[in-house]
Amino acid sequence: MNTRVKFSAGLLCLGFILALLPLSGRRSFNVKPQKLLSEMLGADTYLSVDQVAKFVVSEDSSIQIIDLRSPEEFRKVNIPGSINIPYSNLLDNDPASILNNGKSRNIFYSNGDFDSNYTLAIAMGLNMKNTFVMKGGLNEWFNTIMNSSFTGERISARENSLFETRSQAKKMFTAMNSLPDSLKLKFIQSKHSAAKKLDGGCE
Amino acid sequence: MELLKRFKVVIALVLIVLILVAVRSTGVNHFRNDAKKWAETSFRQTNTLNPEQAKRLKGKILVINLDKNTKLSFEIAADIKNIPADSILSRMNIKTILNHAPGQVLLYSSDQGLSARVWMILSQLGCKNLFILTSESDNEVFKYKFRPDTMLN
Repeated sequence: MNTRVKFSAGLLCLGFILALLPLSGRRSFNVKPQKLLSEMLGADTYLSVDQVAKFVVSEDSSIQIIDLRSPEEFRKVNIPGSINIPYSNLLDNDPASILNNGKSRNIFYSNGDFDSNYTLAIAMGLNMKNTFVMKGGLNEWFNTIMNSSFTGERISARENSLFETRSQAKKMFTAMNSLPDSLKLKFIQSKHSAAKKLDGGCE
Repeated sequence: MELLKRFKVVIALVLIVLILVAVRSTGVNHFRNDAKKWAETSFRQTNTLNPEQAKRLKGKILVINLDKNTKLSFEIAADIKNIPADSILSRMNIKTILNHAPGQVLLYSSDQGLSARVWMILSQLGCKNLFILTSESDNEVFKYKFRPDTMLN
């Protein structure tokens, strides 16, 4: 082979590699659409508010609860232990730095069902595992946890346990969100810095 | 002819690369768009329509019912197709959606989470004029009032 052929072959190899790369330097989904769809249609991407309440009450450190609402809404009320990543800012930076942070499960919630499910699709489309949605969002949390009451005469062991968890979650939610704004802000900031320290990052 | 023979290997490779590039550029079986750009309307929440807003739309409207057993809970003057969510990505269905442009495609499901997930996939695949049809357009509005416990402070 002469030099010209070698050079052409080299250029072709480079072209081949470029052809396999994404067309733009921007971030695009990197899983097959059909695979993403079948994974997303699996019911195990949904968590009920009762399941999330259990994690909150047990202060499970392997869970990261992510509030997708605006910072103003987050400051007013939020689920204890949650961090705020507004949905509209989700793709401003690489979401992998937040979502693949060693936590075994990331749970998204917003006020309803739209933003959390968009986020789930984006996270799964960017090949991030162990992502879940709290079904019904904060509205469902209020409906089920904050407004829970028992009116019957007899209560089964299972119902008792469920009611106990709801009651504890409600107490934690009320205590956290009744803090004066300055204290609440300090608590949220300390939560953020603790998460960064665990990640090995710096401020 | 002599030149073609000398470079036949190179020409073959060029053809392969061209085919790969063409497949990648035109195929609908993979995502190739900028995720942020194609999610933009959902950030602004301008991708949801209630039945009243849908009635005011001009041009061709295609409503896709993603549910297997549930019918639309309201009347709408549009072409309605029942395509279960699990088969929305079949070649034929994707072609139906893409060929509907510049008309609007409205996704409907009684499970709004499902509509949102399917919307995001189709949008990332490059489907334009794609909306979610929902009877509950204030889904992302917080409907309760939290009363702080002042005794705790």
